[in-house]
Formats: sequence, C-alpha cells, structure tokens
Amino acid sequence: MNQASHEDTEGIDELSFSELEQIEIGLLLDGIYQVYGSDFRNYLRSSLRRRIQHRMNLEGLSTITSLLEKVLHVPGFIEKLQNDFSIKVTEMFRDPSFFSAFRSQVVPFLRDLPEIRIWHAGCATGEEVYSMAILLHEEGLLEKTKIYATDMNEQVIQSAKTGKFPLKRMQTFTKNYLQAGGSKEFSSYYTTDAEHAMFHASIKQNMMFAQHNLATDRSFNEFHVILCRNVLIYFDSQLQSRVHDLFFESLAAQGFLTLGNMESIVSLHKSQYEDVNTSERIFRKIIV
Amino acid sequence: MRNLRINIKWKILIGYFLIICCVGTSILVVSNRISSLQLEIETITSRDIEIHNLITTLRYNAVSMETSQRGFVITGTEIYLEPYTRGKAEWEANYNTLYQYLSDDPSSRKSLEEIKITIQNWISEAGEPTIAMRKANNTQGIIDFFNEDTGKQQVDDLRTQLETLRQKEITSTRDHILDLKNRNDMLIISLYLMLIIVSIISFIIVSYVSGTIVKTIKDVVKTISEIASSSGDLSTRIKVNTRDEIKDLAEATNHLLSNLNDQYWIQEKVAEVATMNQGINDIPTLAKSFLTKLAPMLDAAYGVFYIRTGTGDQQRLVKSASYAAFGDEAGHASFRLGEGLIGQAALEKRTFLLNAAPDHKVSLQTGLGKLEPKSILIIPFEFEGKVEAIVEFASVESFTSQHLKLLEQLESHFGVAINNVQGRMEVERLLSESQVLTEELQTQTEELQTQSEELQMQQEEMRMTTEHLEEQNLFAEQKTKELEKAKEELETYSEQLRRSSQYKSNFLANMSHELRTPLNSILILSQMLAENENNTLNSDEAGYAKVIHTSGNDLLALIDDILDLSKVEAGKMILTMDEVNISEIPEHMHLLFNPVADNKNLSFDIHVDANVPPVLYTDGQRLQQILKNLLSNAIKFTETGSVAMNIQNADPKDIQKYIPDQIDKHVLAISVSDTGIGIPLDKQQLIFEAFQQVDGETNRQYGGTGLGLSICNEFTKLLRGRIILDSTPDKGSVFTLFVPSLPDMEKEQLVARNQEVAAAVETKLEPPAVVSAPDIVDYTVSESTEYEGQLFKDKKILLVEDDSRNIFALVKALENKGMNVTVANNGKQCLEVMSKQTDFDLILMDIMMPIMDGYETMKAIRLDSAIKYTPIIALTAKAMKSDRDKCLEAGASDYISKPLNMDQLFSLMRVWLTKQVEH
Repeated sequence: MNQASHEDTEGIDELSFSELEQIEIGLLLDGIYQVYGSDFRNYLRSSLRRRIQHRMNLEGLSTITSLLEKVLHVPGFIEKLQNDFSIKVTEMFRDPSFFSAFRSQVVPFLRDLPEIRIWHAGCATGEEVYSMAILLHEEGLLEKTKIYATDMNEQVIQSAKTGKFPLKRMQTFTKNYLQAGGSKEFSSYYTTDAEHAMFHASIKQNMMFAQHNLATDRSFNEFHVILCRNVLIYFDSQLQSRVHDLFFESLAAQGFLTLGNMESIVSLHKSQYEDVNTSERIFRKIIV
Repeated sequence: MRNLRINIKWKILIGYFLIICCVGTSILVVSNRISSLQLEIETITSRDIEIHNLITTLRYNAVSMETSQRGFVITGTEIYLEPYTRGKAEWEANYNTLYQYLSDDPSSRKSLEEIKITIQNWISEAGEPTIAMRKANNTQGIIDFFNEDTGKQQVDDLRTQLETLRQKEITSTRDHILDLKNRNDMLIISLYLMLIIVSIISFIIVSYVSGTIVKTIKDVVKTISEIASSSGDLSTRIKVNTRDEIKDLAEATNHLLSNLNDQYWIQEKVAEVATMNQGINDIPTLAKSFLTKLAPMLDAAYGVFYIRTGTGDQQRLVKSASYAAFGDEAGHASFRLGEGLIGQAALEKRTFLLNAAPDHKVSLQTGLGKLEPKSILIIPFEFEGKVEAIVEFASVESFTSQHLKLLEQLESHFGVAINNVQGRMEVERLLSESQVLTEELQTQTEELQTQSEELQMQQEEMRMTTEHLEEQNLFAEQKTKELEKAKEELETYSEQLRRSSQYKSNFLANMSHELRTPLNSILILSQMLAENENNTLNSDEAGYAKVIHTSGNDLLALIDDILDLSKVEAGKMILTMDEVNISEIPEHMHLLFNPVADNKNLSFDIHVDANVPPVLYTDGQRLQQILKNLLSNAIKFTETGSVAMNIQNADPKDIQKYIPDQIDKHVLAISVSDTGIGIPLDKQQLIFEAFQQVDGETNRQYGGTGLGLSICNEFTKLLRGRIILDSTPDKGSVFTLFVPSLPDMEKEQLVARNQEVAAAVETKLEPPAVVSAPDIVDYTVSESTEYEGQLFKDKKILLVEDDSRNIFALVKALENKGMNVTVANNGKQCLEVMSKQTDFDLILMDIMMPIMDGYETMKAIRLDSAIKYTPIIALTAKAMKSDRDKCLEAGASDYISKPLNMDQLFSLMRVWLTKQVEH
C-alpha cells in the first residue's frame, strides 16, 4: 500500500512525502478529536501510521485524506478505525512470571488492607482482569477487593463485561495459569458453550468496568494497585508522562504500579517509586 | 600603662618581692618592739631600785640624826654630833633626788613633802634646840624637853611615813613588772598575728600570680579542646587578655586556626560543590547550580558559565547559565577559542583576575540602581587537559587569595563533574533512545500479533468456507440419493424407534414385574417363616427368616429406586399433578417414622406453619417419596438427638435465589433437620449424585445405595423445585425442599429429563428474565446440543483408568456425547494401545494405577514424538499442590480432581478439543 501511495504522489520527493503523510495523520487525528472527542494525537505516530496503513489496505484507500473523508462522512466508520487503533493483544495470565511475582511480592502487602482497590487501566477485553480476580480469589482476597477495569474502547469494555473468552485460546490461558502458579483447577472457574469459556459470576462479583480514556480523563479514585501493562508503549513521551502523573496522583501511599515488561517509569517520576521487582516492572510508590 | 608588657618572669619576681617586703616589715616592727621593751625594763628596774634606796637612805639619815642628837645630848661629846651634822647636810639632797623621781606621782610627792616637813620640824623643834641646850649645858632644858619629847613623836611619824612610802613604791614596782609582763605577752601575740598576716598576703600574691598564668593557659587549652572536639568550630578564636608568652602562644595558635579554617573552608566548599554535582544529569542545571553555589562563596555579584561544545575548529564556548544577570547584559552568548578573555582563557587554560576594571561593561542590577564591579575573575575548568568550561565572576569586592585557592581546588573536581554529567547525559539519551526503540519493538510485536491473529482468523474463515463449500457440493450430490434412501430408512427407523421405545418401556415394566414377583414370594414366605406360628423353627432360624425378610424389603426398595431413576433418565417418569393436602403429610410421616425414631430413641417432630395454605398442586406421590427419603436419611444418619420436619411458606428471597423461574408461584419450603453426622462442605454437592455417599466408610456403616438423594434431587427437578443443603459435620444437616405449587400444569405429564436438566443449568447461568420464556430455553438447549454433537462427535478419547466403576460411569457419559472411548486399564496398556493407534484427540489419565502409574505413562507419552502433542488430562485423586505439580511436570496438559464433576470435565474437554489460535 505504501508503494501505491508513493506512486500516486510521484511528483513529490521522498522527504516531503513523509512530511505530507505526517500532516495528513495530524489532520486525521485532529478531525477524529474534534468530531468524536477521541484523542489519539499523543499516540505513538509510528504505530498509528501502521494501523492507518492497515485500515487503508483493507478499505482499498490510497491516501490518508480519503480515510479522513470516510471517517467524517461514513457513519460507523470511526468505530472500525478506533478498533484498529486500540490494540487488543492480551491473554489471561499474560507473562505468567509477572503474576507469579505479584502473588509472592505484592499480595502479602495487600493482605493487611481492610479494602483493596485495583485499577486495571487499558484492560482491553478483560483477560488480565479475570486473571487478577482468579489470583486474588485463590489468595482469599477477592471478597474485599474492588477491581476497576477501564479502557477507552467501549466495545471491548462490553466484551470484557461478559467474561466470555473464545475456547480456541483457552489452552494457552490454561498453560499460563499453571505457569503463574495457579493453585486450583483452572477448569473450575468456567463453564463452556460452543465457542466460549464463560467465567463464573463469583469471579466477576467485584469487578467494575467503565470507559475511561487515559489521554483525556482524570483520576476517579485512590488505588492500592494500578495495572497498566503494554498500554504506554502506544503513547508518545508527552502522553506517557501525563499518564504517569495521573497514576501517581491516583496511587495510595505505598501503592503498587505495574507496567508491561518493556515499559518503564518516565524519568520525572523515577524517584517517587522504589523497585519491587525490576524485571517484572513492579514499582511501589514511596511515601514522601 | 596598659600597653606595658608584663611577662610571666616579672609576675613571679614581683610576687616574691612583695612577700619579702612583708616579711622584712614584720621583722622590723617586731625588733623595734623588743628593743623598746628592753628599754622600759631597764628604766623600771634602775629607777625603782634608786627610789627604794633613797627612801632607805632618808630613813637612815633621820635615824642617824636622832641617834647622833641623843648621843650628843647624853655625852655632850662633839663626836656624837658628827652623824647629825652629816645627816642634816645629806637628807635634803637625798630628798630632792627622791622628789625628782617621784615628781610624776602626785600622791607620792605629797607623802614626800609631808616627810620633808616632818624632818624639818624634827630638826627645828627637837634636834637643834636640844643640841643648843646641850651646848649651853642647859640640862634642865634638856630634861624638860625629853620629858615632853616631841621629837620622838616626830621621828615615829617619820618612820611611819617612810614605811608607807616604801610600801607604796614597792606596790608601784610590782605594778610595773606586771605591766611589763602584759606587754611582753602582747608582743608574742602580735608576733603570731604578723606571721599569719604575712602568710595570708603571701598566699594571695602567690595565688594571684599563679592564677593569672594558669587561667590563661586553661582558657587556651579549653578553647583548643573545644575546637578539637567533634563540633569543631574552626572560627572560634582563643581570647587572651594578658600580655605574656601565653598570648604569644594563643596568637600563634589562632594563626594556625585561621589557616586551618581557610583550608577547611576551601575543603568544605569543594565538598559542597562536589555533592551538589551529584544527581545532576544535565549541563544547564549543573551550570546553574554551580553558579548559584559558588557566587555566594566568592562574594561575587554576577556570574556566567560557558560550556565548550563541538570539536576541532567548531569548538565554541556557549553560555549555558548565568547568575544575577540582567536582560541582555548577561554576556555574550558564545565565544570562539581565543576570542575575548573567555576564549583566551580557554585557549591558554589560565585564570584571569582583573582588579579595578572600571570600564567593564557589566553593571550589576540591584533594585535601586546599578553597581560597577571592582574585580573580575575568569577561570577555565579542565578535564584531562582539555578546557571543558569557562566561568566568569564579577564582584564589587576584590577577590581574595582564599577565593582563588578555592577555585584552584575546584578546578580539577569540577572538570570531572562536567565530564561525568556529559557522560550521564549521553547515557541517559542513549537509554531513552533504546527505551523508545524497545517500546516501538513491543508495539510492533503486538501489532504483528494482532495482524497474525487477524490473518489466521481470515485463513481459518477461508478454510472453513472452502470446506463448507466442498461439503455442500458433496452433500448436494448425495442429498438426492440419500433423501430417497433416508425417507425409506426414516420410516423404518421411526417404526423401529417406536418399537424399541415400546420394548424398553415393556422391558422396564416387565423387569419391575419380573423382579417383584419372585421378591414378593420371598417376602411373604420369609415373613410367614419369621412369624413362626407353628413353632416349627427355633429362635435362630426365626431370626434368619427375619433377616431374609428385611433384606428382601431392602432389595425391593433398591429395585424401586433403580427403576425410578432409570425412568427419570429414560424420560419415562410420569407426573401426576393433583391437589395435595398439606395437613395429611405430618400424619402420614408420623405413621411411617415414629416407630423407627422410637427405636433409635430419637425425638421426631413435625411442625406446620399456621399460614401454610391447605392445598398444594404438585405430584403428591413424588413429594412424599422425596420427604420419605429425606426423613429416612435423617434418621439413618442420626444416632442421638432429634429429627424434625418444618413446613412453611418459602421466603421470596430464597425463591429468587434458588428457583427464580418460579418466583410468581406459591412455593412451599419443607425442611428436614437432624442432629446427625452431617456432611462436609466439599462433599455436599456429591451426595446428590447417583451412587454417592460421603465416603466408603459411611456406606459400610449405614448401609444403603446412596440413590435416595439423587432420586430426591431428580424428582425435585421434575417438580420444578430445588433441594438446598446446609450442614456442619458432627452437628447435623438441614435439607430444605422448595416445591412450587403448579395448578396450571397438565394433570399427567411425561417429563423429558434432558430438557429439565438443561433448564436447570440455564437457570444458573442466565438472568431469570430470559429463562422465563420457555421457547428460548428450548432453542438454546437444542443449539448447544447440536454443537456439542459436533464438537464431541466421533472424538477419539483414550481413557486410562483401573477402577471398573469409574470406567463404566465415564464411558457411559462420554459415549452419550458421541465420543469414541478406548479404555486402557493401566499405563502399560495405554502405551500398547497408543503404539497401534496414535490419533487420539484426548487422553484422560488416572494417576494411581497398578503396573505403571499415570506419571510414568505421561512421561513416556511425552517422549514419543508421534503422540507427544496429544492433550492429556490428568485425573488426580487429591487436589494437593504437590500432586498437581507432579502431574504437570510429567506432561499433563491440565488436570481435574476426582470425584469428577461431569460438567467441569465436559468444559475442560471442550477447551482441549477446540483447535487453538496460535501466536
């Protein structure tokens, strides 16, 4: 596709082409923001560019401007694009070593709390939310825990609420669960139908799902644990530091922040956290 | 006078001198006193002796004059008269001498004058006349005279007077001597007094002198030790008020201290600057804080910091921070090497100190106006021989040598610091770059993952479509043929089905009949035998007959149970809905169970709430069967205490909770409570399953098939109700039966079990509102069954299990779902089977088996390349973590613990039979 758009704009040299593309992306994002209120302007451009290219491929469009036109004039098209923009790569007990570390290094601190509030920012279809709930259930903490799971994509939130996951991924989930040190039978948490494994209501009881946009919305409570794994990688540094401000503000004293295994705390906030587990990216807010 | 220098030597000399003076003075005073005393003693002794002599002489004169006068008078010889004459001549001289001595004593003088008069009177009245008379030979006159003798009287008086005087003088002498003695004593006392006073004065002088010396030394020592102590304020100076060698010492020490202090100040500042450098990661901050730190140290009022950038010819000194700069006057933005003083300093690596630079452009902006700097300092900072930065300071004061020293010290440190920070900045930059790249990588990975997922989905869809199309083609061809064939077959089948169903019903009925007939005869005959009316049997034999009878009864009950259950399972259960009179229930139950309860000494009560409506629409026979089962169980498992039945209207909350689809109906809650052995929590679900009791032991101890509760449960479901169990081991159990009144149901109804069970499952999963519409339930059920048929149909399952009961149950259940089950009785058999057939879809593996256990078998399977990817579900006896870990280690894909929950097993099998999306 890149090739195709290149040919269309043959008169323009290489440098100005990519400049032009940047301008078009900027216009597209501005348009989306002004019309639909979703703010992708501080998302990582390189990633967005690929997602946009992907959508253009599928739609057979040659320029981003024509994509913008569709966004603005074709009803429902924006949902498609927004879906493209929100990467929903997730699985239950993703990075089992993280959950295992969480169990051994964070759970002991949570035990003493009268009530535990956990914020799962960017929960996508909710796999990790259910994983965390199962983990806490096995540690006997689920009763006193409230898990707030948020994502900017309303559609995935709705999907996450159902607690239904496709059977064809369940084997991976089971393997992850076992590697993460699950202490019960994974099969005791779900029933199945033709295509889905449906998790029991008892696991869902203390979950709250809501639409929340890290780029624009504010903090809504004080949390003991904030999980935000593999979300910040899609943001540029400006938005990353905004989100870190938001997390810092939302964390209780000595609360835990956990990030994806490729992510790190931006330098501005580095001194406000101590490392609990460096390789699993578990940090703890220092009382100042 | 104040500037006069009094050193320690002089102090000591003056002290000693003062003491010697005191001693001399006292010696002088004492010797003076002694000599005056001596004189007095001498005076007193000579005068008093003279006085005493004179008095004696005077007396002697008087006596000798009288004696001479008498001698002459008597003899008339002139010789006798001589003493008189001599006495007369001498006494007056003696008198005068004496008078002189006593002139200072009026009383003695008066006595003396009286003595003189007496003497003169005697001479004139007695002496001279008598002598004259004797010369004149006037004897008569003499005799007359002596007759009268006035002279004698006078001499006697004289004697007395002299004696008085002498006594008086003796007393006076004694007084003198006493006086002298007193004064002597006084002298001794004053001598001691003097000694004391001199001692005191000497002591005072000595202590003053030594005090002045020691105090100063102490002050010095104190100050020095204070400085030396940990708090160590080097700015303290030794203060000495004296002007002696100690002052010299103190001054020398103070000098040393100020040197040290300067040194220390420099070190401190260097350290301060060095610590400030730590944790700074960028040059502007470093420059800014360096200036902010250093300017006050140097009393500078203005400062600029230039950092060297670029290499080779491109090297420039770029301003990166300023201190107290104002507006554009903050100095040039950059210099080339050698350009201006800044550039020159960088080129030459030398420090410039310019004093009194009146024309310097910089003016220092204060709130009130401008100041001209007096001194300007330009310092280069090097690292490894290269100038890294130039700093310029301006001050309204002159820079001191100390400032320069400090800068000299700082030069090397700060050069390193700049280099470090630059290094750190570089590291930080690289780190953040790498972080950005890492994150980018991750996003790409995830995107790729999404894309591959999407691709896979698309592929899968396409494959499915193709397959579907092919199938459809094939299907279409065959369809016509098959349709005809099927039509015929269907007819045959339906006939066969009808017949086989008839056979089954008949078989069941026959079975019931066939079994009951012989049993009946056994029962009747054994009863007759047991009654022993003819007394033909002895007591033992009668006992045996009773046993036969009871066993026969038990067998009958068992057969009934099995038939009931099989009827329910075969969907042959017929419900007879009718009015059930609630008040009959207690009577009936009392009748049935009072004897048994009495037998076991248990109290048995039935309570019916007053507000329970008299009539309930349900199948009365099934209801009774349920209640009988519950009660007989309760009594069976209770050794002491009580069994009670309580009939009341169900709480709407409970209805909502347990049978939400009957919420609009009238529901009765009948609870049967006992004080028996109770049921542990983990077993509470199991006891409702067929052939289950809490454990094997219970079975042996209490007897029974364990079918009772599962029949209760099945019946309750048929009656659209639910049984709830609340039990504590060793405390007792409460079974509560919720049974709705169903007046709208047909009088007689054949209930298909599958539908009912499916409905029960649905109730658990879906909100009640959805379930209340029956056709939706049916739809869901049929669809899911259809799918299940697809998923499970013809799947090849290898069951490795040694317990025949389990094999039976599992094979039955799996085959019901359309799966092909192959059974291996142990690990060895399993491997044998798998060596011939490798295409199993799933292996169910028991762990505890003879010959070769599950762990070994799984390990062996995982080593065999042909079959190592076959999912294995381990069936573990206990859900111990170690068990579990061993299973997983041996290669199990998942595990499920026994006793098996069939729903869970099927869920699990669905997961492991579903083709997975791979990443």
